[in-house]
Amino acid sequence: MTGDMLSQGKVLVVEDLHKSFGSLEVIKGVSFDMDFKERLVLMGPSGSGKSTLVRCINWIEPPSAGRVTFDGKLVESRKYDIRRLREDIGMVFQQFNVFPHLTALQNIALGPIVVKKVDRKAAEAEAMELLAKVGLSHRADHKPGQMSGGEQQRVAIARALAMHPKLMLFDEPTSSIDVELIHEVLDVMVKLADEGMTMIVVTHEIGFAKEVADRVIFMDQGLIIESGSPCEVFEHPQQERTQSFLSKVLLA
Amino acid sequence: MFKWSIIFENLPFLLAGAWTTFSLTVVSMIFATVAGLLVGLMNMFGGKVIGAITRVYIEAVRGTPALLLILIVYYALPRIGFNLPQFPAAAVSLAVCYAAYIAEVFRSAVESIPKGQSEAAFSLGMSQAQALRHVILPQTFRRVLPPLANEFAALIKDTSLVAFIAMHDLLFNAKIIGARTFNIMSPYIGAALIYLIMTTPVMQWSRNLEKKVE
Repeated sequence: MTGDMLSQGKVLVVEDLHKSFGSLEVIKGVSFDMDFKERLVLMGPSGSGKSTLVRCINWIEPPSAGRVTFDGKLVESRKYDIRRLREDIGMVFQQFNVFPHLTALQNIALGPIVVKKVDRKAAEAEAMELLAKVGLSHRADHKPGQMSGGEQQRVAIARALAMHPKLMLFDEPTSSIDVELIHEVLDVMVKLADEGMTMIVVTHEIGFAKEVADRVIFMDQGLIIESGSPCEVFEHPQQERTQSFLSKVLLA
Repeated sequence: MFKWSIIFENLPFLLAGAWTTFSLTVVSMIFATVAGLLVGLMNMFGGKVIGAITRVYIEAVRGTPALLLILIVYYALPRIGFNLPQFPAAAVSLAVCYAAYIAEVFRSAVESIPKGQSEAAFSLGMSQAQALRHVILPQTFRRVLPPLANEFAALIKDTSLVAFIAMHDLLFNAKIIGARTFNIMSPYIGAALIYLIMTTPVMQWSRNLEKKVE
């Protein structure tokens, strides 16, 4: 009942989410909600549970306890529901996870063809548009092995967009990319944000967070310890742990 | 004493045996590969019960001699009403045996694909079956070919076990020539050469593929 009330107009409501791996509890009761078109940046030291949290939202890691309400519907742990949920939530991984046996174009068209049963021609036409959007039209027929990390990650973003997601999850999208190529990926993400995409981004890129985020959530040891506008969190952090983390990140 | 002339004079008979060896290998291998893929997938994704059943099958076959299986299928099964002629009995036995090995080949190939690949497939909304068919198995293809070629070469040699059910394969025919000519060495050397002619290219092909994959 409360879930339904809370979810009015919300794209995502997470209530008291827990996740354990064996005896190790990585997320110890996290609650937050998101409006459509909101841009959320998740930060925190490694091991704080931020990656696990985004992976719980689309059940890549099934939560151990708690409730997730997506687009007004409580997510149940049934296979069919989970698949529908994942169709509507795009995910971008730290390691890209593009499909190495397929070209850039095929990578992007595969989801719509297999999952949504879109006609191949139509799916590939849209994939070409998405490639143009991420600035990789000239790479359509290349395989991931022939592309840089920045290019692979942009293909991965286009692959997620091809499913027309209502929410995009980015799990440290630039952490595995050479420094000089990071901006290629961030530029695409800023463009998405400008178009009104709802997104959760796990990142240490403070510049990106300041430019794009409506809200920054700071996690430590499996809990949200601070949350607010980028200005509040970055300029006036209330918690000592946030302060010490930010000083380290800013120095780096 | 070894004499080339004995090999040449009896070459058609040896080659007839080699043909049996070759066709038995090919037929058994086709069935073993299809069955091995299915067993391997059932073992990995079939859930607890099917996983356990297939595991017992794989371990049972790996822990017993192939010859025993051939003898059971050809001599013991007819007693309980399953009467198979020689060739099908031999092919079924070898296929059942090699399917277990090949299941393990597929299993290790699937497990060698990084977890992120299936996670990416799942994140698009794919089912387990769709992820396997479109993302995982196409990537295992190159990795399974070298070990499959190795199994093929091993199967060529293991078909010689059918001599025990008096099937006229390469080894059995060599034995017959030895008995007929009182020269035991020559036909066996001849058989060895023909086995090598069959196995060497397969093993070489496997090595080349392995290099390519790396």
